Amino acid sequence: MRFGNLLKKELRELITPQALVSMGAMLLLFIFLGQMLGDFTDSMEDISSATICVQDKTAFVDDILASLKEENIEVNQVELTSEDYAAELDRLELDNLVIIPAGFTDSVLVNKEPASLKIVSKVAGGGMISTAQTMSATEVIDAIEKAAEDSILLESYGITPEEIERIKAPVNTTEISVLNGKSAEVATEELSAVLMMQSMVVPIALFFMVMMASQMIMTAISTEKIDKTLETLLSTPVSRLSILGAKMLAAVISALLNAVVMMIGMVFYVGGMLGSAGEEMMNMAVAGQEVSASADGVMSAMEAMGELGMSISVGSYVLFGIQIFISVMIALAISLLLGAMATDIKSVQTLTMPIMLVTMIPFFVTMFADLNTMSTVPKLIMYAIPFTHAYTAMNNLVFGHTALFWGGLVYQLVFFAVCMFLAVRLFTTDKIFTMSYQTGAGKGKKGLIKQ
Amino acid sequence: MGKVLEVNGLSKSYKKDVLAADSVSFSVDEGEIFALIGPNGAGKTTTIRMISTLITPTGGDALVAGHSIISEPAKVRENITYLPDEAGAYKTMTGKQYLEFMAGLFTGDKHVAERYIDRAAQICGLGDRLNEKIGSYSRGMIRKLLLSRAVMTEPKLAIMDEATSGLDVINALEIRKMIKKLAKETGMSFLLSSHNMLEIEYVSDRVGIMTKGHLMVTGGIDELKQRYNAANLEEVFERVVIENEVR
Repeated sequence: MRFGNLLKKELRELITPQALVSMGAMLLLFIFLGQMLGDFTDSMEDISSATICVQDKTAFVDDILASLKEENIEVNQVELTSEDYAAELDRLELDNLVIIPAGFTDSVLVNKEPASLKIVSKVAGGGMISTAQTMSATEVIDAIEKAAEDSILLESYGITPEEIERIKAPVNTTEISVLNGKSAEVATEELSAVLMMQSMVVPIALFFMVMMASQMIMTAISTEKIDKTLETLLSTPVSRLSILGAKMLAAVISALLNAVVMMIGMVFYVGGMLGSAGEEMMNMAVAGQEVSASADGVMSAMEAMGELGMSISVGSYVLFGIQIFISVMIALAISLLLGAMATDIKSVQTLTMPIMLVTMIPFFVTMFADLNTMSTVPKLIMYAIPFTHAYTAMNNLVFGHTALFWGGLVYQLVFFAVCMFLAVRLFTTDKIFTMSYQTGAGKGKKGLIKQ
Repeated sequence: MGKVLEVNGLSKSYKKDVLAADSVSFSVDEGEIFALIGPNGAGKTTTIRMISTLITPTGGDALVAGHSIISEPAKVRENITYLPDEAGAYKTMTGKQYLEFMAGLFTGDKHVAERYIDRAAQICGLGDRLNEKIGSYSRGMIRKLLLSRAVMTEPKLAIMDEATSGLDVINALEIRKMIKKLAKETGMSFLLSSHNMLEIEYVSDRVGIMTKGHLMVTGGIDELKQRYNAANLEEVFERVVIENEVR
């Protein structure tokens, strides 16, 4: 009952309307960014329609237009009334236009010389989306060129489209990836991409969770000290451990809420950016589900992972979850110790730095480097940071490095026990009142608040 | 009349060989208002914090309603309330939410909690402002809220460090009257600390004068004035300090 009262108060302080608004704003930002980049990606791929002005009305050009239709490009034919392209684009309300000029067929078939094509595009701005508009018109030109090429090869040299295909792709490559003494028919690149997705998603969430939880508990403790509410609270008939527990639980709940919002944001962001393919990939990475082989019979990356013994069991996910939880708890315990030293807002900011550094360094190092290939000293330093083990846990599980995983988990448990012991000791002794870290003149000075 | 507080040789050292409080002994009767007075650094707050179970003594003990501050701190906290000097309240809460939260720490009974809150609302006199965020309160309003919180549960012993700090003359006067009234009507005991001799002279039944960690003298106001041939408490204080420096 009293613990519930304390927890309610802590949650009310952490999950304020302002915090909810900023969480919502972050989610919207992710969705917006994903949508914007998705629009760009879509416009890059969108060559489903083309506006063409045909000034050379021949059967050859008709064949080319028909072949464009076969490629699922919808051709929209227009007529120009003048050579003033700016006025014509405005009149026709177009961003770009491909012109097949008179004499195009004669150049290709009779004169056997390079024929001319014109592409007229409006410069809309410097953004990526406006570049994409020009690029989509260029794709149409490529399709026209290919159709012209095929016609020349067939009519002048008698080479059929089937023969052309064979000439253009004379070799069929089968990629085989080998791991853990097993092999699977899948491109290593593709496998790496899925692995990267899988091993990046959770660390990003963990990174944000650790950062947020740390800042929350630090603010919660230091504000109580700075606003001088802690003494009143500790003199009430509630055990100090309940007060400590309520603060930690509220920080975990709040951090979890933030992490979930962040993850939803990331899914929207990546989903929006990569379109439906990306979304599927993301879902696969998150859920670790196996998907059926793709239509052309090539093994999917997830299937291959299963074949290579890299798929993750439910048990492993549980272990991974425990490790993440312990990581957050370690961050909370360290932040609690640091937060108790703060005497003003400025010192809170300074004291946040160490926890930010020990969270960020392993995050970036494990993202770009392989710890196992490092020399001994940097490797030991990295392993001494407890958060490193959480970042490498997924890869250790996937690649079957069980000793490293368990070693990391045990180390984290010991580290957590030590931090918690110190935090409880701090909270149950005079130290909670006497420990202080002051910025400015009294920097680093451990002193008494008041005697 | 029974004793609510018995302090026996209470000592505290933060650093080796420096005693912030040195063998302090005194007692407070039921319904009595006792005040510790002395200059800054005299050891008043240290003594009060030890009795409030916030810090652990390095020597001696104190019994609150018969419970030791060392071996039964949880029992002690059930019988006291503590109002620290310059204490704040949670700015994101409204005055009412603050009282609800604090009442919830003293009782699990909803009806009892409501009674506490009603009493505090009546004592603080903040009216509708109780529904506003504490962040919008003046210093005086916060102090009134905290004072009402400290007495709403009618503890056996209310400990107040500089009870009227931050209040204007009228508000300070109201608080002093309130303390006297509560002690008389409910039998609550008060342990106060202050620099303000005038205030202490008006409100206290007995005082203890502290300097440099020592409790020099205790006694009733009139008794001390007579003993030191002084016109007021300030003069008593001056003479006690000079006398002990000469020694």
